[in-house]
Amino acid sequence: MKTTIKEQNDEIVVYFEGRLDTAASPQTEKEIQPVLDVDKDIVLDCEKLEYISSSGLRIFLSILKEAKPRGHKVSIVCTNQNLLKIFAVTGFTNLFEFRK
Amino acid sequence: MEYTLTLHNDVQEVPLLATFIDTICEENAMDMEMSMNINLAVEEAVVNVMNYAYPEGTVGEVRIDASVTDGLLTLTIADSGTPFDPTVKKDPDINLPAEERSIGGLGILLVRQLMDTVTYQHTDGKNILTLVKKLN
Repeated sequence: MKTTIKEQNDEIVVYFEGRLDTAASPQTEKEIQPVLDVDKDIVLDCEKLEYISSSGLRIFLSILKEAKPRGHKVSIVCTNQNLLKIFAVTGFTNLFEFRK
Repeated sequence: MEYTLTLHNDVQEVPLLATFIDTICEENAMDMEMSMNINLAVEEAVVNVMNYAYPEGTVGEVRIDASVTDGLLTLTIADSGTPFDPTVKKDPDINLPAEERSIGGLGILLVRQLMDTVTYQHTDGKNILTLVKKLN
């Protein structure tokens, strides 16, 4: 599992690559903490994400819960149909803005 | 075809579970979507055991048995920990706004959504969770 953080224009983008499973989640959570200290909208880019379990979904939800009250949008970039179904059955499609 | 894997209550062993499930899916010609859904449901059920079945600081085991017969994949997840029936746990309300959504409960929701049937029994001092998925 690899995460890369880039500031682009008025957004901060987190690129996820690999399998975000229960074993990988604690490290990933630590790596993306700095994102929450930046005063910008957040984009979670899942184009190279192969898999996400509930531990990864919880990270996404906690980012949203921290950013939203501060007036920041959190968007997910994803075109993988299998992952989109997981975001749908967990209700994430109602919570996040989705982009292609 | 029958398969067995025994893991310890250590979530760092989850990648071994993924390899085990991938082998089952490949040998039974399942597509990417089916393979991911089964991986996810089984990971959630097994991690639940790893995290909660045994008292913190003690070593315990979780055994996963799988079989494919007549187009049905049957998985049983067994442990000797504290009796716990995850099937009676209520699903989180997925229609709530972010402020009201709780962080937990997504695991069992995924197991229910991704498998066709989920049943629990407690027999001979063991928790046994059975997951069934119709293939094709």
